[in-house]
Amino acid sequence: MSKEGYIERLRQAVLNYDEEAAKESAEEALKAGVDPVEAIERGLAAGIREVGEKFHRGEVFLPHVVLAADAMTAATGVLEPAIPKDRGFKRVTIVLGTVEGDIHDIGKNVVAMMMKAAGFNVQDLGKDVKIDVFIEKAKEVNADIIGVSSLMTTTMPYQRELIRELERLGLRERFKVMVGGGPVTREWAENIGADGYGRDAKEAVESAKQLLGIKSEG
Amino acid sequence: MISLLEVAERARSGPKMDEKKWNLSLFRKMQELTKEHDLVYSGPELFFDVDDSYCDAAFQAAVDFLVDMGVYCVTSNRVIQFTEDEVREAAREAPKEAIVGEGRDVRVIRKREVEDRKPVSIITGGHCPWFEDLMPLPLFVKSLAGAGRADIVEGFNFIKVDGRDVYDLPMAAYAAKRELAWMREGVQKAGRPGMAITYYPILTEASTLIAPIDPVSGLRRTDGILLSTLPDMKVEYDLLTAAIVYEEYGSFKQNGGAFAYIGGFCGGVEGAIIETIAKALAAWMVYRDVIQYSGEPTRLSVWTTIEERMKMEKTKVEAAQEGLPIVWSAFTVHNALCRNSNIIRFGLLSPIGLGGLETDSEERLLANSVAYIANTVLGANLGLVRWTAAEIEFAAEVSDATIKAGIKREDIRDIVQKAYERVRGKVAPGVYDERMLAYRDSQAWFGTFQRCYDFVRQRPTKSYLENREKVRKYLTDLGLELI
Repeated sequence: MSKEGYIERLRQAVLNYDEEAAKESAEEALKAGVDPVEAIERGLAAGIREVGEKFHRGEVFLPHVVLAADAMTAATGVLEPAIPKDRGFKRVTIVLGTVEGDIHDIGKNVVAMMMKAAGFNVQDLGKDVKIDVFIEKAKEVNADIIGVSSLMTTTMPYQRELIRELERLGLRERFKVMVGGGPVTREWAENIGADGYGRDAKEAVESAKQLLGIKSEG
Repeated sequence: MISLLEVAERARSGPKMDEKKWNLSLFRKMQELTKEHDLVYSGPELFFDVDDSYCDAAFQAAVDFLVDMGVYCVTSNRVIQFTEDEVREAAREAPKEAIVGEGRDVRVIRKREVEDRKPVSIITGGHCPWFEDLMPLPLFVKSLAGAGRADIVEGFNFIKVDGRDVYDLPMAAYAAKRELAWMREGVQKAGRPGMAITYYPILTEASTLIAPIDPVSGLRRTDGILLSTLPDMKVEYDLLTAAIVYEEYGSFKQNGGAFAYIGGFCGGVEGAIIETIAKALAAWMVYRDVIQYSGEPTRLSVWTTIEERMKMEKTKVEAAQEGLPIVWSAFTVHNALCRNSNIIRFGLLSPIGLGGLETDSEERLLANSVAYIANTVLGANLGLVRWTAAEIEFAAEVSDATIKAGIKREDIRDIVQKAYERVRGKVAPGVYDERMLAYRDSQAWFGTFQRCYDFVRQRPTKSYLENREKVRKYLTDLGLELI
């Protein structure tokens, strides 16, 4: 099979939400000498981007994006360890969660899925997440972005408090902070000193790319 | 009927399940039930011609969901399971009447049927934040309670109280008590000291849900509290705790979260219908919500204001078509619950969108009127939160005229189509939420109320009354006696 054949198999495994096939295809691609970075970017990422676009058009639903992301994760679990460290390959990592006291996570879940669909490495902390948990995780995984969601006006202040805590710890410059959620506005994001904001999942992904100087596809 | 203690027991002893597994299982089950009960949605041309047998099948699918899957407790990560007998018993035993308020302000809220001749009940109030730099909340509440046909007034939460940010439990508990105190002051100023107030939670922690209990000047036994189910058939301990406390205290409970997200874990339109029906049943079983805002599946999409919506680059056909599945599925849910349960429902389904850029515009009043007519005929009561007293009174007038004229379900299509032609291009069907304006600019948001109502003189504005006359005349020409 040609290199293009292996890359296409990876793409199809993601499009078919097939975790097993994705993992097998990744193993076979490596055995055949396919460059793992190319396999990720042109195979897996291309597939997940297509799923993300279908979701945005309403052709598939959130579970499809979850399954596609699982397939991609299974394959990258095989491919990433094979990338030589001197290649300097690092996927954008975002630590994501809903703030302390807030149990609403539907919006955050959609953002998580769309971030995965954009090829980001997403560490989803879930809901009702304390500020220090966000920060510790971000340090542990060497995150690029901390994404903080709030769906209640009475929990939004924790977004501000997280930024203040990063400043107190001397970590403010290390992580970009993005905020979002139902009552969260661009004005609020600017007032509290957040780096980025997304009114919806699509805008959140674009904002994240802009923050990190990543060009959008298409 | 399954007791709340039994529910609590099952929440801590039911089968353990990872939340992600629950989400994906929910999706698979919805797909399976859609096929099994032949619920496939054919497309927007159906508009709101819902078929009774389809609605009954959708209800059975919701029962089957609750029996096969149950609900998921996000606190314990366990599944609360039910038998079919328990689910059907719950549908039968949900009370058809709720007695709210006290003294001469007592009201009976009833379950209505399709084409019911009983007048609607009306909930007014906030279901949103209030801002200290606007007018004093008691005066705003006074204006709402002054509308005689308003039966219950729902509260507000706060971003700041006494100049302090409201977050963390101590401030949230204080804010909860202030909310009820100000609401109580407002209804008293309106001469309705016994009017029922529904507490709109500041936070969903149990302590803040219980904090405002005070039989004299806070949350009384004849008042209510909003305890809402979460998306994807999820419940949690704090609200269950509050449900148990309020069960003994006596306050009624209200579900503000019965909708499902089309495109989310429930899948498409069909899954959203099944979930919305199932949530209404679950809210009664798990929280004892006797009053429900039910019936309007929505989309996982950006929440915008009406103005933003109309500026979006969509053709009129696209915009209208985007709204149709929501309209159709909402009608289906209303009808399914009406035919198969005693659940008391409130809604404000909008067949042509809550359109019109200005709140006092003829287009907005006409779009609202169509919603009042449709909801009245379909057996819902009216949920008019974030409206003014002027609109509450007009809603009651249009609803009463609808009943008097004997408008039937089959008549709605004609009324809606004629009204839509009149406002085509000036309305934006779809998902929007004017609270987005409140979060950005509270003064501008309050300005939308001031367009309709003069809060100083406590009466409708001249522009509102002028446009209301135009709409009254138009509706009279359609067969309603309003003039």
